[in-house]
Amino acid sequence: MNKLYSLKVIDIKTETKDSVSVSFDVSHDLYETFNYKPGQYLTLQFNLNGQQVRRSYSLCSSPVIEEPLRIGVKRVKYGLVSNHINDNLKVGDTVEVLAPDGRFFADVNKENYKTYYLFAAGSGITPVLSILKTVLFTEKRSFVYMIFGNRSQETVMFKKQLIELEATYKDRFVLVQTLSKPKSSWSDIWKKSTYNQFRKGRIDADCIEWFVNEYPPYAQNTEYYICGPGAMIDNTVKALENIDVPLDRIFIESFGGSNSKESIKSVEVSNLKVSLNNETFQTKITEGKTILRTLIDYGKEPPYSCEGGVCSTCMCKIKKGKVHMKNNLVLSDKEIEKGYILSCQSIPLTDEIEIVFLIKY
Amino acid sequence: MSTKKMMHVLPVEAYTSQEWFNLEMKTIFSTTWQFSGLVEDIENPGDFISVQAGLNNIFIVKGRDNRLRAFHNMCRHRGTQLLRAVGKNQKAITCPYHDWTYNLEGKLISIPKKESEFPDLCNKELHDCGLNLHEASVDIFKGMLFVHPDKDAPNIMEYFGNIEPYLGPHIPEELIEYKEGVYAKEIQANWKIIIENNIDHYHLAHLHEGTLNMYDHDKAEFGWEGPHYWFYEPLVKDYMDDFENASLTPLIDHISKDKIGAYVPWFFPNIGLSESESTWSTFHVLPIGPDRTLVTFRTKTASVSEWEYTKQTAKSAMSSVWSKYGNKGKYVGDKNDPMASGDFMEEDIYACEQQQKSLNSPMFSVGARAQKGEYAVMRFQEEVKKWMNANGANV
Repeated sequence: MNKLYSLKVIDIKTETKDSVSVSFDVSHDLYETFNYKPGQYLTLQFNLNGQQVRRSYSLCSSPVIEEPLRIGVKRVKYGLVSNHINDNLKVGDTVEVLAPDGRFFADVNKENYKTYYLFAAGSGITPVLSILKTVLFTEKRSFVYMIFGNRSQETVMFKKQLIELEATYKDRFVLVQTLSKPKSSWSDIWKKSTYNQFRKGRIDADCIEWFVNEYPPYAQNTEYYICGPGAMIDNTVKALENIDVPLDRIFIESFGGSNSKESIKSVEVSNLKVSLNNETFQTKITEGKTILRTLIDYGKEPPYSCEGGVCSTCMCKIKKGKVHMKNNLVLSDKEIEKGYILSCQSIPLTDEIEIVFLIKY
Repeated sequence: MSTKKMMHVLPVEAYTSQEWFNLEMKTIFSTTWQFSGLVEDIENPGDFISVQAGLNNIFIVKGRDNRLRAFHNMCRHRGTQLLRAVGKNQKAITCPYHDWTYNLEGKLISIPKKESEFPDLCNKELHDCGLNLHEASVDIFKGMLFVHPDKDAPNIMEYFGNIEPYLGPHIPEELIEYKEGVYAKEIQANWKIIIENNIDHYHLAHLHEGTLNMYDHDKAEFGWEGPHYWFYEPLVKDYMDDFENASLTPLIDHISKDKIGAYVPWFFPNIGLSESESTWSTFHVLPIGPDRTLVTFRTKTASVSEWEYTKQTAKSAMSSVWSKYGNKGKYVGDKNDPMASGDFMEEDIYACEQQQKSLNSPMFSVGARAQKGEYAVMRFQEEVKKWMNANGANV
């Protein structure tokens, strides 16, 4: 799972002025390895400025349609990797990639009879598009109600595909767009029918309540998928909770993980005891370093991918001591209660720390 | 049990004995999706209805997320029934007996005197005490509500999906209920007698020779899809030539001319439809006892103005179709005599009740079966038997 594969870039498409989508060639013998569930991501590794860096990008392609593996990459301000991909990556380049992974996905099955509510904001559309296409294509009886928020018409990713899906599946797919700063309509370039119509504003409690009342579920087995920036997710989950949507029907993926502003100081030096890949060893965590970075600098190969507190690949269990997680967008309170931590986000709060990586790589 | 059989499949006791009836309640009506009404019966968040599904009383309530939930209508304390038939705008569910209260998710949220009377429950949140309401399943098919007593019921489209292509092109959600058209009647016959009558093609040209003669029975098409039955027959030529005028209520505009006719499907075990050019009706057969059954018809028609209805009534009255078809009794006589009523429903009820009466006679037997026209009767009994045995009966 921590193994890297070299994949060749076969296409790069400009999606908006600050985003591209990149597709890769997967050779026949890697089909199995690169099979994925709609909603999952790929982790890319680059060596930039003498540093090994990994970033995870959601797949926007669908595993059930004959189309190559494709990820969406939006520029992050000062982002090392996203700008590198947008500026420098070319067709024919080879990129080091980990196999697809991620806990945000829909279990699509042709027998399913469900109503899916999809909430996407900005580049959060990427995994949602994969889920959308896969559900519409596979589950001939399910319904999809989607709300897609953007700043303006110009930042809407995958416009063309969405228009096509709307036309093809109009009996059971509803798309509502909401724009927080729409450009005045007479100057905009979209001439297509209903696609000109949008709500004004963000995806907030009012908008969600309106949406769910306007489009009540037909199939009563409902699921809610949310992807966007942290604040949008928090607001959407809260709004859904307020109208009694059970939490076990809500699935979230955070994009552009918010940098935690709280400054909790770690202890100066902490002794770290680790069980990883069938060995147990000890080292020291120096101030400011995360457990994950300590292990990598120590020459070990712990599992990790996003380094943003989003994906949970680096998850381990704490046996002794206490840590602070700078950012956690994936572990539930129950999991934390059981002692699970994200090693990429953890700094020590006690002098002695003992952890175990449960899955062997 | 006697060896005497109805259509060579089920014993006569299946239509007369309380013991068999109880077994059906357990192995058929508690193990299938049960019709519970129309989607519009539960309009707003907090509205609920309760229904009997075999041995289970189940209520359906709409949440603020507009999703329906179904729970067994029974307090987890001492088992008291929680909600009465129908209601609106419920915020929480309180048992009348000791005021135990649940939220609309079925989670226990309050117990009076919890600390002093139930000290064992004190260190836990109430909803983690294992005393939440038992969940059931609810879903929608063709504008109809269905419940299933099992919270992990097989999905409703796996159950009904294959029969869907054989139904009429009607979109019930676009029609409105004709409230005066609700018909409910308790019939003195076993529920299977009524179903067998409903799916019997052979009797149409005979019992209903003057009441359903506007349909061309010889051109009827019918068949089975799993445990469900479908049936279609076109209009006779005179009716077809003038149906725009003859139709009693305004035509349903989403039914194209080539699709016009009567669709009369029936879904296992006890709900049928009757779909015409201007109406869409549910036909619910609810067993009450071995020889008592409540039959309920609900009818929806086109959602058009009162004026359209008035105009259509006038056109229909002028049409010559009704002087020849659809309202002539089998016998001549008092209109209160079902056989002279000119009403096909009265005729069916009469035939069913008369058949039920004979079941206790020592001389009773089914003499012969029409190969094509009564095949469905036998097939239905086989489905009943199969379903019962698959769910633990041994019959």
